[in-house]
Amino acid sequence: MKYCTTCKVLYQDEVNFCPDCGGRTVSFAAGYDPYGVSAAAPTGSEKEVVSVKGLYKRYSRKAPWAVTDVSFTCNEGEIVGLLGHNGAGKSTTLKCLEGMLPFERGEIKIAGYDIKKDAEKAKMQMGFVTDNHATFVKMTGIQYINFMADVYEVPTDVRTKRLAELERVFRLGRPIENLISSYSHGMRQKICMMGSLIHSPKLWILDEPMTGLDPATMRAVQKFMHEYVAQGNAIIFSSHALNTVAKLCDRVVLIQKGEQVDELNVKQIYAANPNFDFEEYFLRNEKTR
Amino acid sequence: MKRQDNALEARAIGTAVKEEKAGGVKMKKVRAILRKGGQERRSAFRAGQFDFVGFLLRLVLVAAIVALFVLFFGRFVDVYMAVKTNGETDIPRRATELLTILYAAITVGMVIGGIGQLGRELFNSDDMRIFSALPLNEKTLFVAKLFNIYRGQLLIALVTVLTVNATFAWKVAVTPAFWALTVGICFLLPLITIAIAAVLVMPFQLIKRFLRERFFLTFLLVTALLGVAFWVYSLLLSGVKQLLLGDSLRYFFNEQVMTAIGKACDFLYPARWFANIMAGTDPVWSWVGLVAVGAVGLLISMLVIKSILRRAMQARNQSSTGSLLRSGYLKPKHGKFSALLKKEFLLIFRTPSYMFSYFSVAFIMPLMVYFCMDIGASLVENLVGLDSNLELALFLTILFGALTNVFCATNISRDGEMFYTVKALPLNFKAVFFSKVVLCLIVTAITQVASAILLAGAGIVTAYDALFIAAVGIIFSFVNIAVATRYDFNHARFSTEDDGEIKESSGTVSIVIVLGMVVSFAVGGLVFILKVLSQLNGTGYGALTYILAGGLALVAGGLAAFYLFFRLKQKYYEFSGGGI
Repeated sequence: MKYCTTCKVLYQDEVNFCPDCGGRTVSFAAGYDPYGVSAAAPTGSEKEVVSVKGLYKRYSRKAPWAVTDVSFTCNEGEIVGLLGHNGAGKSTTLKCLEGMLPFERGEIKIAGYDIKKDAEKAKMQMGFVTDNHATFVKMTGIQYINFMADVYEVPTDVRTKRLAELERVFRLGRPIENLISSYSHGMRQKICMMGSLIHSPKLWILDEPMTGLDPATMRAVQKFMHEYVAQGNAIIFSSHALNTVAKLCDRVVLIQKGEQVDELNVKQIYAANPNFDFEEYFLRNEKTR
Repeated sequence: MKRQDNALEARAIGTAVKEEKAGGVKMKKVRAILRKGGQERRSAFRAGQFDFVGFLLRLVLVAAIVALFVLFFGRFVDVYMAVKTNGETDIPRRATELLTILYAAITVGMVIGGIGQLGRELFNSDDMRIFSALPLNEKTLFVAKLFNIYRGQLLIALVTVLTVNATFAWKVAVTPAFWALTVGICFLLPLITIAIAAVLVMPFQLIKRFLRERFFLTFLLVTALLGVAFWVYSLLLSGVKQLLLGDSLRYFFNEQVMTAIGKACDFLYPARWFANIMAGTDPVWSWVGLVAVGAVGLLISMLVIKSILRRAMQARNQSSTGSLLRSGYLKPKHGKFSALLKKEFLLIFRTPSYMFSYFSVAFIMPLMVYFCMDIGASLVENLVGLDSNLELALFLTILFGALTNVFCATNISRDGEMFYTVKALPLNFKAVFFSKVVLCLIVTAITQVASAILLAGAGIVTAYDALFIAAVGIIFSFVNIAVATRYDFNHARFSTEDDGEIKESSGTVSIVIVLGMVVSFAVGGLVFILKVLSQLNGTGYGALTYILAGGLALVAGGLAAFYLFFRLKQKYYEFSGGGI
C-alpha cells in the first residue's frame, strides 16, 4: 500500500507518483500514517526524536519568563507545529531546542542526546533554519553549503549527491555560485534550508519556514517536508499561519504568553470533525486567556 | 533594538502628518525624521546597553589627541610667528599663512568625511528602505537628510576649528571678535565642504561599485594607497629628523621657503578667505567671497543631493543586484576547524572596511616599523648618544602589533547574528574561539616575522635580536588578540545592518587601543629607560632586555590565555548577548 505525500490519498497499487496531484508516493510501511492511526497508539511505542520536559527560559534574572513549563515530544515520522501569536515564545522555544539559547530549567533531548550535556552530539542530529535566515553573506551559496557540510562532517561524494537532491527541491539554480549578499530574501531562505539539510538530519527545525517563499517553492517545501518525515525523520516548525499548520502538522503545540496551553492531534481532530475551524479555535483560545 | 526603534519611529512618522500634499516640504515630518535620528543616537546610552568604560576611554582618546595637537601646534605657532622675512617679523601675514594652511587641511578632512557621510545617509542608511515606503515626499526627505549631513559636518567643524583657533588665540593676542568670527566660520564651512563632497560622492560610489566583489583588486589598491601614504608620511618624518639633528629648524623657514608658502596660500581658496577674516586682513572682500561661495555651495549641494536621493532610494529597494563572483564547485571534505578558519578569512577579505582595517594595515606594518625604526634609531643615537636599537625595535614592534590587532576587538561582534547560528552548529566552543584567534595569530606572525627580517636585513638589529623581537612581538600580539576577543565576547554588539557589517567603532575598540598602547609603552619604555640609566650610571646591563622583555611577554601571554579561557565554556553556552 502506498500513499501520496502531498494529498495523502492512499493507493492499493504500487504507484510511484500520485495519479491525482503528481506528488511522490511512499510506502505506508515507511512510518508515516496519514490517517492518524498510529497517533492513537501510546507514544511510548514510537521512537522519540525530540523530548522537551518542563522548559523554562528567561532572558535575564529580572525579566519575566519568556517560556514557562513547555513540554512536548516529536516522534519519528512526525511533523509538530508550534503555534502562537507574535512574541508567544515559539522562537525562544526553538532556539533553546537548537542550543542557541541557554535555559534555566527543564530538559531537552534530541535523538536521546541531552542538548546541555551532549551538545555536540545532539546538534549533529539536527538541521535548523532561523526566522531571520542569518547566513554568512560574504560566502557564495556553494561555499556556504561546503561550510555546513564540513561542519556536519558530510563526506564529499555524499554532499555532491545530496546537493543535487536539494537543488531539485529548492531550485536555487545558478545564483548558488554567487555571493549570498546578492540574494533576495527568498533565495536566502532557500540556501539556509539547503545548508540545514546537507547532512540529512534526523530532526529538521524551522522557524517560520514559509515566510518569503514563492508559491511554487512553498508547495515544493511542503511536499518535501512530508517526504522527509516519511523517511523516518522528524520536523518541528513554528508558525502563526494557521492554514500551513493545519495542512502540514500531525500535532500542534499551542503556546501563548510563554505558556503551553494545549497540544492537539491535528489528524485525529480532522478525522473526527472534517469541518473543524482551526482559526476559530485559536482565536477563542486566545480570548479566553 | 535598532530595528524596533526604526519601526516605532516609522509609525510615528506615518501618523505625524495625516495629509500628504504633493510638492512642499513638511516640517512636521522633517522634525519627526530628525527626532528619530536623535532617539536612535540616545538609545546607545540606555541602561543596560551603555558601555561606560568604553565611552570614557573614547573621550580620553579624543582628549589626548586634542591635547597633543594643542601642545605641538602651540609650540609651532611660537616658532612660525617669529619667522622673519626681509629681516622683520610680520605677524598678520604669518597668521594668515598659518591659518590658511590649517583651514585648508580641515576643509580637505571635512570633504573626505562628508563623502563618507553622504554615502551613508543616501546609499547605505538602513532607514532609507522604510522612508521610501512612507508618505514622505522627496523634498521633505531631502531637507531632513541635508540637515542631518549639515549637523554632522558642523560638529566636526566645531571640534577642529575651535581647537585650532583656541590654540592660536593662546599664542597670539586676539580680539573678542575673533571668537564671534570663529563661530561664524564653523557654521559657514560645512556649506562649502558639503557642496564639494556632494559633487565627489557619485564618482566615489561608482568606484565603490566597480570594486564590489573585486576583492583582490581592492586589497591591492587599498594596500598600495596605504603604503604610499605611509611612505609620504615617513618622508615627512625623515625631513623633520634631518631638521632636528642638523639644528636647522630655525633656518628652515628661509626667504625661499616663505615665498613658496606665501604663493601656495594665495591659491588655497576658500581657506584663504577664512584666514583673512580671522587675521583681519582684507575681511570685507573675504566675507563677500565666502558668502558667495557658501550660497553657490548650498545650491550645488541641494541640486546634487536631490538628484541623487531618488535614485538612491530606488537602488536601496532593489534586493538582488547580481553578483560578479563565480564559485560553483563542491569542495572535498575539510575538518571543522579549517572550515571555520576559511569562514573567518572570507568574512574579513570580502568586507572592504575589514580588509583595510586588518589585512592592509597588517601588510604595511613591517614598513611602519622599518621607517619609524630608521628615524628613531638615528634620533636616539644622536640625541641621547647611545645605541638602543633592540629596545626601540621591541617598543615599535609591540606598538604597531597592538595597533594592527585593534581589529580583533570585533572578533565576535562582526559575526553578528551568525554567532548564534554557529552556536547551534555541532562545534566545540574551543574550535569557534580558536579559529578566530588562530587566524589573527597567522596574520600577526607573518607581519612580525616580515618586520624582523626587514630590520635584520637593513642591519638595524642582528639576526638573533630579530628572532627575539619577532618572538616577543608574536607573544604580545597574542595578548592583544586574546584580550580583545574575550572582551568583545563579554560586551558583544551585533550590527543590525543587512550585511551584518560593523560601521561604527564600539567602546571595546577604544579599550583595546588604550590597553595596547599602555602595554607597549610600559614594556618598550621600561627596557629603554633601564638601558639608558644603566649606561649613564656605567653599570653593566648584560642581558636585562632579553630577560625583562621575554619574561614580561611570557607572563602577559599566560595571563591573556587565562583571561581568554576563564569560564569560557560556561559563558559560551550561556551567551545571549549581542544587543539584538
